[in-house]
This record gives sequence, C-alpha cells and structure tokens, in this order.
Amino acid sequence: MEEKLSKLKEELQKKLEEATKEADILNIKSEYVGKKSEISSLLSSLKDMSIEDKKKYGTMINNTKKEFEELVTRRLETLENSGEITFDDTLDYEVENGSLHPVTIIGKEITDILKRMGFTVVTGPEMESEYYNFEALNVPKDHPARDMQDTYFLDNGMVLRTQTSDNQIHAMENFGAPLRICAPGRVFRNEDLDANHENTFFQIEGMVIDKGVTIENLLYVMQNLLKEVFHEEVKVRLRPGFFPFTEPSYEMDMSCLICGGKGCPTCKNSGWIEMVGSGMVHPSVLRAGGIDPEEYTGFAFGFGLTRLAMMKYKINDIRVLNSGNIRYLKEFDLK
Amino acid sequence: MLISCNKLKSHIKNPEDIDWLNIWDTFTLRTAEVEKVTIMGDKFDNVVVGEIKECVAHPNSDHMHILQVDYGANEPIQVVCGANNVRVGLKTAYIKVGGHIDGEEIKARPLRGVLSNGMCCSGRELGISDDHDGIIEAPDDWVVGRDLKDYLPVRDIVVEIDNKSLTNRPDLWGHYGIAREICAITDHELLPLDILEIPNDKEDLDIVIKDDNLCYRYTGLKIENIKNNKTPLDMQIFLFYVGMRSISLLVDLTNYLMMELGQPMHAFDARVVKNIEVGTASDGDTYTTLDGETRKLSSDTLMIKNGDKYFGIAGVMGGLDSEILNDTTSVFLESACFNAASIRRTATKLGLRTEASARYEKSLDPNMTDLAIKRLAYLLKESNPDMIIASNLTDVYPKRLEEENIILDKNTLSIYMGRTLEDEEVVRILEKLGFKVEVESTYYNITVPTFRATKDIKIKEDIIEEIARIYGLENFTPKPLKLDLTVTEHETTYNEEYEVKYLLASKYNMHEVHSYIWYDTDLLKELNIEKNNIKVLGKEANNILRDDLSLSLMTIVKENFKNYSNFKIFEIGTIIENNENKRVLSIILTDTEKNMENIYNDAKTIVKYLFKVLKNKEVTYTNNVNESSYHNDKLGKIINIDNTKIGEINVLTKACTNKLSKKKSVVMIDIDFDKYVKLSKTQVLSKEISKYPEVELDYTIILEDKKYEDLEKVLKTFLSKLIRSYRLVDVYENKYLIRYTLGSDFKTLEQKDLQTFKERFIRHIKENGLNIIE
Repeated sequence: MEEKLSKLKEELQKKLEEATKEADILNIKSEYVGKKSEISSLLSSLKDMSIEDKKKYGTMINNTKKEFEELVTRRLETLENSGEITFDDTLDYEVENGSLHPVTIIGKEITDILKRMGFTVVTGPEMESEYYNFEALNVPKDHPARDMQDTYFLDNGMVLRTQTSDNQIHAMENFGAPLRICAPGRVFRNEDLDANHENTFFQIEGMVIDKGVTIENLLYVMQNLLKEVFHEEVKVRLRPGFFPFTEPSYEMDMSCLICGGKGCPTCKNSGWIEMVGSGMVHPSVLRAGGIDPEEYTGFAFGFGLTRLAMMKYKINDIRVLNSGNIRYLKEFDLK
Repeated sequence: MLISCNKLKSHIKNPEDIDWLNIWDTFTLRTAEVEKVTIMGDKFDNVVVGEIKECVAHPNSDHMHILQVDYGANEPIQVVCGANNVRVGLKTAYIKVGGHIDGEEIKARPLRGVLSNGMCCSGRELGISDDHDGIIEAPDDWVVGRDLKDYLPVRDIVVEIDNKSLTNRPDLWGHYGIAREICAITDHELLPLDILEIPNDKEDLDIVIKDDNLCYRYTGLKIENIKNNKTPLDMQIFLFYVGMRSISLLVDLTNYLMMELGQPMHAFDARVVKNIEVGTASDGDTYTTLDGETRKLSSDTLMIKNGDKYFGIAGVMGGLDSEILNDTTSVFLESACFNAASIRRTATKLGLRTEASARYEKSLDPNMTDLAIKRLAYLLKESNPDMIIASNLTDVYPKRLEEENIILDKNTLSIYMGRTLEDEEVVRILEKLGFKVEVESTYYNITVPTFRATKDIKIKEDIIEEIARIYGLENFTPKPLKLDLTVTEHETTYNEEYEVKYLLASKYNMHEVHSYIWYDTDLLKELNIEKNNIKVLGKEANNILRDDLSLSLMTIVKENFKNYSNFKIFEIGTIIENNENKRVLSIILTDTEKNMENIYNDAKTIVKYLFKVLKNKEVTYTNNVNESSYHNDKLGKIINIDNTKIGEINVLTKACTNKLSKKKSVVMIDIDFDKYVKLSKTQVLSKEISKYPEVELDYTIILEDKKYEDLEKVLKTFLSKLIRSYRLVDVYENKYLIRYTLGSDFKTLEQKDLQTFKERFIRHIKENGLNIIE
C-alpha cells in the first residue's frame, strides 16, 4: 500500500510540474483526488478490510489524499503568481487636485495652534459700525487713522473694517472676562495696489483677559505660535509701538528666517522682521467691553495672515491672492 | 526725520562716553525705530583753507579767473576758478591735487588752455551744503593750510528715524527731545539751552487770538538792527545734513529752532506787520502761499491775519508778502501753538504737508513757544551783537496748560511688569525723561512734564510704558499662562467654513478663491447688469458692494476661461444684503456649452452630498422663478432643507456667458452660510440590519416627453414591503436605469418572491403610461 501511494504521489508531482495551464491542473486534480481517482477507490476499498487494516490504512490514505490536494493547490498558486500581466502596469497619470486658498491654510494652522492654547476662534462682520471699528477701540474722531485716505467709508454710515480689532469689543460683550479669543478675518484699507500693497487682506486678532495677565504671557504666546508655524526656533523681541487700543503698545519683531538674523535685504539688514502689533489692552477698551480695568488686565495682538502666508510660501506679489488665478492657486493643495 | 549726532552731543554732558554709532540699535528698542545710520564727512579729503593772493581774468573765458592760492605751501599755486565771488584776500576751501571728492581724484589739468592745480570748492561741491552761488567764504581768522574738517563739523553721524514711530511723541520732533531720550537710555545729563532773557520794558505787540480752541498760544517779539543775515557755515552744514535748505540767517534760524526744539517759527519782515490776528478764513477766499500756489480757503482754515489781510496759513505755510527780503533788518518773530487736528485737516485738505504742519499735527507743547523765541534771540545775537529788542516778549496764552499728576500704585506696576522694581530705579528712569516723582509707601505721585502731556501721557498705563521701555523690553522673558482648564466658548463658524472648504477642495478638486467685496463695475457694465447696493464713498469704480457672491466671482471666471474651458471654484465670503453682512458659499462650475447638462447635474449632486455628510440632511429642489436678468429663467432651482430655502442653483444666461468666453456654460450655486451654520446636524442613529442578504434589481424605464420628476411620482406610489431603497443610477438618452434594493427581516428572498415583485412593478409602470424594458 505504501508503495502504491508513494508511486501515485510521484506520478502526480511529475504531471503537476508539466502542466502549465489552470485547466490542465484541474484535470489532474480530478484524476488524482476526484471521485473516480485511485485514492477514492482505495478509500472505498477500506470497508472490506479488517478492523486492524482499516485503522492502519485509513489514516494513511486520508493523509495522502490531503497531501495530494495540497500539492494541487500549491501548484495552482504558483501558476497564478507566475502568470503574465494582462494590462499596462506602468501607466502614470498626473493627479488633478483641488486647492485651498493659502490664507485658509495658514489660518487653519494658526487657529489650531491657538486652540491648543485654549483660544476660541471667533469671526466678525466685514461691514462694521464706526463704533466698533473706532470709538470703542479708543480711536477718537480726530485720529489720523480715521482719515478718508485710510478707511473705506460707506454711504450707509458704516465702514469696511480696517482691522480685526473690532472682534475685541464683540468678544468682550459676548463672553465677558476671563477671555481668550482669536479672530481671523478680512480687512480693508484704502491703498493703491502694487506687489506689496492690497486694499483687501487678512489679519488675525488675539486677546486674553484675566487677572494678572502680563506682557510676558504675550511673548510666550507669540514665540510659540511663530515657532510652530515656521517649524524652527524663532526669536521675538519687543519694541515700543503706538496703537490707540493698547497701552503699553509694542511692536513685535521676529528674527529674520531668510538670513537667520545676520542681516539681508528682506529684513533691511536689521536681522529682524516687524511682525505683530501688540500690547496690554487699553483701560478704555476694557471699559468699552464692559470689563473693569481695575480688576482685569489683558493683552491683545494682531498680525497679517496674508503677510504670514506670503512669507511662508515666498509669494512675492500680493495681488495674486485675490486674483483667483487657478494656474497660480492650484499649487497650494490642501495643507 | 534726520538727526545729527554732532547736534545731540552739544546738548549732553560728557557725550564722548557714548558709542554714537551703535547706540541706535538700543534706541530702536527703547524709543523709536531707526531706519538708517549714515557716516558723514568721508566724501572728500585733502581740502584745506586757502587764501586767494592774486586774481586775474581768464583770457579765454568770460567768467573764469586765474588765481594764485596760498594753501600753506612755500609758494602759492595756480588755480582756475569759475565762481563769481573770487577776490583777492578771500579765504576759501581749496582741494589739493591728489585729493578726492566722492571717490574721484583731483588732477592738475588745463581749463581753456590754462593749467589748474586743484580746485576751489563750493559747499555743494563738497557735499556739505546746498550752496553753489560761489566758493566757500571762510572767516578771516581761519589759518591757511589747515584741514577744513578742523573748522567745520563735516564729520558727523546722521540717523534717520521712522516718522511713523514718532507719531505719538511730539517731544521727539526736535534734537533736544532725542537728546533727552539718549540721556535716559545711557544715564547721562541733559544740558540746559542757552537763551536770551528779554526785558519787559517796551511796548507789547498787537496780537489777538480770535479762537482759543484753534490757537492755544501766540508769542511774538520784534527785533531790529539786524545787519548780518549770513548763516554761519556750521549751521549751514547742520541744516543740510538734516534735510533743510539754507536760505538766509533769519529763515535758517527759524528752521534751526524747529530742528532743535521741534517748535515751528516764523520770521516776518517787521516793516509790513501792522497787527496780528489769528482766526479762521471766510469760505471761498483764496490765498497765495510762499511756494506761489493759490490756495482755496474755507471757514475752518485757521489763518494769521495782518491788518485785515491774510498773512499766512497758520501752522502750515506763510505767504509771499511777508517774506524776509535781502534788505530786511527788522523782524517780527512768531512762535505759536495751534490745535493739532485743525492743522492736520487743513494740511490734508490743501494737500500741503510742511515740516511745520507735520509737527503741529502731533500736538506740540504750548509751553515751549517763549523758550524757542528766547533761544532764537540768543543765537541771532551771536552774529548780530548790535541787534535791538524792539518790543516786549508779547505772549497771548488764554488757557495755560498746567502740569498734571498721575498716581501709579506699585502693585499695578508689578502686575504689568511681571516683576517688582526698586523705587530708585523707577525714580531714575522717570526723572531722566523729565518727570518729577514723589515716592510714597504704596504708590508714586508723578508729575508729567507738559511736553509729554499733550497727547502721549494721560493715564497710569502710559507711565508704565515709559518705565518698561527704559528698563529694557529685552529683559522680559516668555511666560506661559498658568494652568486653566475652563472650557472656552464654543464658536463653530470658522471651523464649519473650513470643513466645507476642505470637502470641496478634496472631494471635488475645486479651487478656493478670494474676490473683492465690491463688484467689478466694468464687468457689470459689460454684462449689462445694473446693481444698486451700499456704495463705498470716494471711490469712482468698483464702488458697489456685492449682494450676489457668485456674480462677483464672474471676474475670476472670465480670467480663468483664458486658460481653462472647464474648472470648479468656490468662495465663502461676505455679501451685503438689505444693509446686513451675510456669509455665503458660492460654487461655480464651468464647462463647454455642450456639457452644461453634466455640470448642472453635478451641482445638484454636490449640494446633496455636502448636506448629507456634514449635516445629515436631505436636500430637495424646487423650481425657481428667476427675477434677476443674468440667470437663465428656466433652470433656476431652489435648494431646500426641511422645506425651507437655504440657497439657489442658477445657470448664467447665454448672453452673459458669451461675454466671459464663447461657447461655455456657467453654473452657480449660492448657499446661505449663516443659515448653514445655524442648521444643527440631524442625529445619526445606528439601525438594526437584517441578518438576511439583500438583493439588487435594475429596471430600465423609457420616458417619452417626460422628466425624472414624473417618473419619481410613479415610483413613489409603488409600494412593497420588500423595498429597502431605490435610486436613479444612470440615464442614457431617454432610458432611466433605476436600481431597487430588496430585502426582508424574516427570510432570504427566493426566486418566486423576486418574480412576483418584478411582475407587479412592470404592471405598475405600464399602468402609469410608461414603457419599461423587460
């Protein structure tokens, strides 16, 4: 019996090796393990055997049958793997991608970082009352910022907001103190267009109000924000500045990333780039927002999202951002 | 503003201790932004004092002379010179052969056939003044052969400070104020100014202020017997270095004082002054200013009047008839203080911003007008020892600006600074800046000098700023806010906008664009569209605010048709509708004219998808009767959620589309994003699914002269317990492929169940008059 089985196995192996088509292998399969195969007849002959032989050969034949099935399956697998490719697997199509506006991308990035620091993202109206755009922000009637040449005044007595700082007042009114908000948004200045000037651009405002807030907290927020945006260590420094809605007011510079602070044309050889207007919230502004300046202090900052996007993506003409030119915008993809 | 370090040094005790080249980085951090530091005086070398010994006319020229110049060598040397002030005995600036001006070497060379060894120079040739009327006329006591730089302050450091960063500091619009800052920064002592005390023993001048809200103070003085009207060379150089033209001693002195103290002054020829009145002009009057321009005046223009005639525009510019002339020997000096806003308005209106108006509009200290006059008198007397003070120092000052006190409690200072400073340090900083400080146990009582009080220092926070900046802002270190786990307010708008943008860009390959809040009026005209909405004042074109976002995107669509025939863009932006801000999402799909059907159907699918995945809401469309001229009036659809309108889909009319590009189609989607944000997401609930498999059955139904909405009505009335869902899969010509999904909660469907369903369905379709492919 053993002999017979091992001879069958040899035959099978040989035939399987020779076979090259799936159909042939399937034929071989039915020849050796099918209903009419030798193995099957051996199995059916078991019933005529003695109990001893049944035990002895039963297991042997069954195992051999399994082994044969295994051999066929393996041969089928090898054939599959060695099969010819029936299509051109070297085709390489260009992907067509949609794109988000660079300001959207950088705005998302920045608000995400600020959210990690506990800021709420708020939005405000582009057409704004003079009260929210000026008066409440401690910009009196005679301030040069209210001159015709800087502000778009509208024939309904309102203005196109000149800064996102109007959100400071809205947020204080809506939420009260303590407060942590940031407000990205579009602002408008009456400027002639050139590669560096737009009349329509984006800013982001930030404001924190609590008991005992200091300028050093602002330094922390800004330094870490810039570090996360540019993925490198950024140094920041404060200079005296002047804004009606903060007191003290500070200009915040960041170390020039192009020259690393050594001095280059971009930073006008100073090693620093003016980046953020900031300061401690002016008591009159706190009062306008219904918050007691004797109890709370706060800091506020604002900077150009458009400008940051230009720096980050090395965009050298601001006008493309409002052009809607797909040839240009498609480079920006989604993140 | 340009600042001369030589001038600063003259106001500071022991100025040599200061590194004048490098102090300016610190100045930027402490006070105001320095834009440029320029070293002056290295443009020429080998220029010495020379004396003209002989002077004869050049034989081949009608204006040149041949000079013999003694420059300290053994023999005088021959120089040819074209200046008209050459004369024997004149001491002047002589540049030797081999010397340089602006990098160019001076060589001996013939001029019209006569050899010239070196050159006699004018101020302009040396780059130290504007003067080119003749060669430099040096004082007689200068020693021949000495380097010119030994006598004249040619070597200097000139610093340019960003005017914008001085907006809030009227005290820094003169060198003396800058010197005070340098003293505070470097802990030096500021020297007092030399002045001439004016005895009060003569007559007052006739000066009247008509409006003391517009003119706070007017100080006048008459001086006679001024014979020398020549500006000393060192003053000429200073004025040149700080960007002023030298004209005559009297004019130069007023400018010098403006550069020194920041106080604009005016010198009138006293012969024409009768009486001075400061008051507003009459509407429609005109006046010719010094520059020869005739200006139109209005009732808010503040004027200086002399005997009923206009004499100058207060704080901006004087007139021709009061100009100092060559034969002027007596002057009427004006040193006044005007309302800053009024001066700014006038200067802006007239388009005439002068050095004087730039200073007045910063809110100058009225308490310095008399100091400036006394200082000018002192300087005038140096070159005119015989001058006569011909009047009292006449001072009209109706409302005196008094010093005010501010209480700064030490606790507030510590909170703002994030640290506690020693009393001595606070006092030192403030006193150097001109404040007076009384130290109490818990607070400081601080007296604010009036030169800081007009604008800048009003409240205790302003004082903190002063202390912080001189203390050194670089000493502040970043500190995180303390742990606070309060849940902040939830505002979804920004995030929801982002979600939608991301979805459109990622799933549908759309491009996000930004467009202006106003219509492109040229394009509106081209498209023959009339729009009435809020207007931007003072803007000629593009001045109508948009009330239709997708229409305003047509500018961008037109631009992109130049490069693409089909593209997809979107914007979430603000429109102004019924006088209110409104956020709108607009999606624009474009393609060729023949593909309009595709993008139209895409539009409907996109909107459906958007609301399904982000809000779990079903969109339904109803027909829109369009009123706007630029939308196709048959294809408008209203987008509804829960039977309420939330937006529209429109097709731009053929006429308009053709103006953008020929043979194209434009589909525009507008969704009210304010409503979108308010729409809460329908809760998603998980459903039990049947354990038996589902089966899909496809039917193709032929529609003749009918639309899908007709078919849908028929499908809706076909009821069976087996129907899980049905949907439109494909349309080819008039053949609509509908796919039914069937199933049961109780059993696996058998062939006979499906057969029964099929027979019933076909009968239903046919009974409703439609054809079905069996």
